[in-house]
Amino acid sequence: MLLVALLGGVAALALGLTPEGLWPTDGGLRLTGRFLLGAVQPALDYQGGARPGWDPFWFKVLTALGRTLAFALAAMSLSLLIGVPLGVIASDVWWRPEAFGGGRLRRLARPLQVAVRVWIAGMRSVHELLWAVLFLAAMGLNTLSAVIAIAIPYGGTLAKVFSEMLDEAPRNTADAYRGIGAPALASFLIGLFPRALPDLGAYAFYRFECAVRASAVLGFFGYETLGYHLELAFKDAHFREVWTYVYAMVGIVLLLEVWSAAVRRRMVA
Amino acid sequence: MDAAFELRAASVSYDAGRALEPTDLVIRPGEALAVVGPSGSGKTSLLRLLNGVLAPSEGQVFVGGQDLSNLDRSGLRDLQAHIGFVHQDHALVPILRAGQNVIAGTLGQRGFLSGVRSVFWPRSEDLQRAHALLERVGIGDKLFQRTDTLSGGQQQRVAIARALFQEPNAILADEPVASVDPARGRALLQLMSALAEERRLTLVASLHDLELARELFPRLVGLRQGRVVFDAAPVDVSEEAFADLYRLEGLRGGAVG
Repeated sequence: MLLVALLGGVAALALGLTPEGLWPTDGGLRLTGRFLLGAVQPALDYQGGARPGWDPFWFKVLTALGRTLAFALAAMSLSLLIGVPLGVIASDVWWRPEAFGGGRLRRLARPLQVAVRVWIAGMRSVHELLWAVLFLAAMGLNTLSAVIAIAIPYGGTLAKVFSEMLDEAPRNTADAYRGIGAPALASFLIGLFPRALPDLGAYAFYRFECAVRASAVLGFFGYETLGYHLELAFKDAHFREVWTYVYAMVGIVLLLEVWSAAVRRRMVA
Repeated sequence: MDAAFELRAASVSYDAGRALEPTDLVIRPGEALAVVGPSGSGKTSLLRLLNGVLAPSEGQVFVGGQDLSNLDRSGLRDLQAHIGFVHQDHALVPILRAGQNVIAGTLGQRGFLSGVRSVFWPRSEDLQRAHALLERVGIGDKLFQRTDTLSGGQQQRVAIARALFQEPNAILADEPVASVDPARGRALLQLMSALAEERRLTLVASLHDLELARELFPRLVGLRQGRVVFDAAPVDVSEEAFADLYRLEGLRGGAVG
């Protein structure tokens, strides 16, 4: 503890963290005031008046929310597609000698497993926003590349967590199936995999919530999610609109929380 | 007629020591016998020899007259597919429905694709058969109920139904009632005995409750520290022999099991 505090102090000095910088200017104070006021009165209509041909404001908010969710859903589907198979290969239990993939592929086992684990670590090491920036530079504004940008680190994390869940799942059922002559792969798929699934489902849902937030933030890069409209509103100093978008975000996260609790209750009976 | 199971000087050794001393045992088809003894006496090792899950360190194991060591992997699997096994901890899949867990009994008898499909997308013939078996063990109404919502005793009945779904020649049970209360344990064992008689199955159960074993089984094999100390009908075993079985040793050598 003491060591951490000491290191923290050294870091603060190195970064030049002095309190004078925190005191806002007069102009800054007024802007902050207006911004905070918007929290109490979020916009229900365009600030500064709507132009002809524009959708109603609430409609715009809802579609932005919808696009954000769609983004997150697409990213999560891809993450699961990547993460689940990689998680299986990265696990130890899959390669057990008398079971599962161990049999004929034993010679490939160690190198393949290690390679996959390294690959997963690599996928996880770059933050999704950084991937997004890279893809933006390489391919321009492309929705698919943004979805992939989220799916790479998320898929990697899912793979790592899933491989651990597989290794920790109870093996008695799978062993019992082997004992009545079931083929190794069937024992794995029916005896072991479903015992890790409830925990994986709960974790995947949590990652989905994170993906929703990540998708919203991607809007700052120009993708048409909540973050995009929020940034534009901020630039126009339409602070009350900004707060509407924020509340929409809070609302959806709360909804997901409730839903996720219900799903978790059902999965873990 | 060939014995259902036969051990000839079969022993089991682990790095830590010997779980089962060289043992001779003959079990006739349709017999019901209980293996009794304290924990670590080698009951589980003995049972696992009988269905080939464990290979003997010395000696031979014969099932239906066939030497298991002469069988290749697929031959052994075919044999195992017709021996049901009831485990102490049920060994079911909690999130599957009871009926699906019963149908999983057939995994050793069907190919990979067919087996997986029949558990995840059960056919109506399989469901009907599973339902009939669940009825027979007293929980027919639980066919579509999620297994983890059933009580311990009910789950063990699902496990028994799964063993029966294999249409086995024999059922092995390793401490099948150790995790249920005594009254339910007795009921479960009575059910298993009745089923074995009905269907002319060989039944071998390891039990740590001596009283229950004496009451319900016509033949008892007593194991202590990997050795058979008696093998007879309950009336033919002296009270002394029973007491000796569970006598606490001065803790010198550790028993393995």
